[in-house]
Amino acid sequence: MSAASLFQARGLVKRFGGLLATDHVDLAVEKGEIHALIGPNGAGKSTLVNLISGLLPLDGGSLSLDGVELTGLAPHQRVRAGLSRCFQVTSVFGHDTVLDNLLLAAQAHAGSSFRFLSRRSAEKELMDTALALAETVDLAGALHRIAGTLPHGAQRKLDVALALAARPRLLLLDEPMAGMGPEDSLQMVALIEKLRAQTAILLIEHDMDAVFQLADRVSVLDYGRVLASGDVDYIKGHPEVQAVYLGTDTET
Amino acid sequence: MDAIFIFEQLLNGLGYGLMLFLLAAGLTLVFGIMDTMNLAHGSLYMAGAYIAAKVHEASGSFVGAVAVAIALTVLVAAVVEVLVIRRLYARDHLAQVLATFGLILIADDAVRAIWGPSPILAPTPAALAGPVQLLPELPYPAYRLVLLGAGLAVAVGLYVLVNHTRTGMLVRAGASNRVMAEYMGVRVGRVFSFVFALGAALAALAGALMGPIGAVQIGMGEAILIPALVVIVIGGIGSVRGAFVAALLVGLVDTAGRAFLPPALRAVLPPSLAADLGPALAGIAMYVLMAAVLAFKPAGLFPARA
Amino acid sequence: MTQSERIAPSATVPARRFDAAGILPWAVFALLAAVPLIAPHFGLEYYVGFVRHMLIVAIAATSLNVILGYGGMVALGHAGFVGVGAYAAVALVEAGVGSAWLAWGGALAAGAVFAALTGAVSLRTRGVYFLMITLAFAQMLYYLAVSLRTYGGDDGYGLYTPLSLGWLDGVHGDVFYWVVLALAALVFALASRLAVSRFGHALMGIRDNETRMAALGYPVYRIKLAAFTGAGALAGLAGGLLASHNAFVSPSLMHWTESATLLVMVVLGGRGRRWGAPLGVAIWYTLAEVLKINTEYWHWPLGLMLLLVVFLAPRGVAALFERRRGEG
Repeated sequence: MSAASLFQARGLVKRFGGLLATDHVDLAVEKGEIHALIGPNGAGKSTLVNLISGLLPLDGGSLSLDGVELTGLAPHQRVRAGLSRCFQVTSVFGHDTVLDNLLLAAQAHAGSSFRFLSRRSAEKELMDTALALAETVDLAGALHRIAGTLPHGAQRKLDVALALAARPRLLLLDEPMAGMGPEDSLQMVALIEKLRAQTAILLIEHDMDAVFQLADRVSVLDYGRVLASGDVDYIKGHPEVQAVYLGTDTET
Repeated sequence: MDAIFIFEQLLNGLGYGLMLFLLAAGLTLVFGIMDTMNLAHGSLYMAGAYIAAKVHEASGSFVGAVAVAIALTVLVAAVVEVLVIRRLYARDHLAQVLATFGLILIADDAVRAIWGPSPILAPTPAALAGPVQLLPELPYPAYRLVLLGAGLAVAVGLYVLVNHTRTGMLVRAGASNRVMAEYMGVRVGRVFSFVFALGAALAALAGALMGPIGAVQIGMGEAILIPALVVIVIGGIGSVRGAFVAALLVGLVDTAGRAFLPPALRAVLPPSLAADLGPALAGIAMYVLMAAVLAFKPAGLFPARA
Repeated sequence: MTQSERIAPSATVPARRFDAAGILPWAVFALLAAVPLIAPHFGLEYYVGFVRHMLIVAIAATSLNVILGYGGMVALGHAGFVGVGAYAAVALVEAGVGSAWLAWGGALAAGAVFAALTGAVSLRTRGVYFLMITLAFAQMLYYLAVSLRTYGGDDGYGLYTPLSLGWLDGVHGDVFYWVVLALAALVFALASRLAVSRFGHALMGIRDNETRMAALGYPVYRIKLAAFTGAGALAGLAGGLLASHNAFVSPSLMHWTESATLLVMVVLGGRGRRWGAPLGVAIWYTLAEVLKINTEYWHWPLGLMLLLVVFLAPRGVAALFERRRGEG
């Protein structure tokens, strides 16, 4: 792991009672890279995402992004530092319109939210940002739909757009293809490919076709440890990885 | 302040704590199993106190009066459970607060209509009216001793019921993980109806027993509800054992605060300040205790859920 | 991009569209301003004080609606803020302050400080623990007030000389009524504006999905604390006004059933609805008044109404009147 890595996680540890859910994990993501994280169910992928984004407190280890130490920062401060995430279970504001969702995301990164008396709807820049985000994820035609009524694939795209509002340097995508049909998956793969130009991506995914298509590097997590890390061909040929995936239930 | 006085206050605190436990046990199980906040629990306590006082007065039998109070209160509670509480399980806490606050208003007016707006006198059973010479220098009201005995007996009975019977096992399963219990075939709805009735019986018992040493009046349920809520939060919502420990803690802290704080402050502060501060600190002692417990154990002393 | 140009203007329109339903409450306010002029001609002077009381309570309820309705914080200690304000006003009077404005300003400040301090602790908890902690703080205040002999303890404290309103003194016998009305209108205007401001949007986002808001980069805790503090300030102001209105304060202001009643009125009117709080207060007080005139047993119909609201109109009365709009 070179010192110049964009994102570095060193020796991450998380315990739940006696269970070592994250066992001294080292992980690095380079600029412009899509780094995929795979592993069987229960390998600790979601725990790791929550540790990195700050939703769970670390029991050990440290994190840095672009030289900035993230370890002691609250989740929202990590976002400010350039680390943004999506959620495995779609997490949009279901009662609001797509546009309101995007405005809310845009507002977090353009000026203070401690403005009490001026109408937000009068702010043109926020609107422009929101519309641009909608274009990026191909939702410009659905701005006035209530987010909760959108089809699943569109909601996932909205979730990604909310994360993009932070203009992240590292984007955590937690199983973006989960629950998607083949058509939606293809669109999501295309979207992620497009985002590569904007941000480095840590992609947690079960869909192996998507992973092998997108990833520059793959790390395999098992029992909270990094079992192997390398490019796609290395991982495909790695005997221990094969054992893990044959030994447990293989997804898809 | 001598040892006798301290001992007497400890006994008083224990008695208060045990009565709080009777109230808190039902409340914590209802809360733990169905995640339902019932502000009207205090109204069941009031019902028990009124019925017992009136039946005692009319019949002369205290034991009979307590039994009638429990039976009638459970009956009322069962009706309320079917009509209202059962429909609140799936709702949020705010809806539960609103609906059960509505029940309080209805209950208070019902009592006002039946027994009038003024406080009533709950007679102490004649046989227990006098003091017992507990120690050579400590006469203690016989009735308060009976209260202690009854409270302890019920606590033991409840412990056996919850920890050593099949019903208790179902109750505990429901309290620690309701969804899992449902998967395993526990009919949580039926368990809850049972628990609600049990809680009502204990609340009525507490009301009936507290009547002769407290004020039997409209609003008594609202006054006792808050300490009972404090108890279940300190003990850990859903835990009967926690409620027991917390009830004794709160009972002792509250009684000790009122008995010992004012004189202690008088010793170190100017008299006028001490006279103001003493009762204030005594009044808030249990809330400070709650805040302190939550600061270190956010889910209470004995969290029921893993 | 032509498509976005086409969409953008219409997206800003709903907030600015002329809205009859939005004007109606202000028309009611204008009518209320006439009450002191009309009521005496019908021998209804009593109702000037009644409406004044209702307006003060509506200020407190509106402040609760900000944290409960917009912020999703189910607090059961709001009467504590009102009480802090009332006692702060009394303390200032006791210290020799004669100006109502100063006393009310002090009430507002005291409410804000108390809310900031207790909020800093309470907002670290969630759900029913939050409810219990806020209740506990209000209870502490209650017992503190009971034991404050300087201010009458349990019996309360009377303000025997009315406070001065400065140059407004002597303008009209009911000038205090119009001052309260103006302050209430100001508070409602602020709360309405808050709902469409950046802060309001952030607060409602936190209500709907706190985790997502943190992941979007929002300082969730600070936003909640700011809302809590602001609500405490307004409730404190209501307390100061209430002290003037009653010329009396007592610990019963802070009894937990008072907090519950405030909660009840907000939900009854419609939590998170712009006019939910004043509507709830108006319904509750008017109904209680009518019932009190007609029967000794005026509590149970209110209780029954609460049950009906919970089961038939859980979103409150304001929601029944609202036209369905895309904003939901």
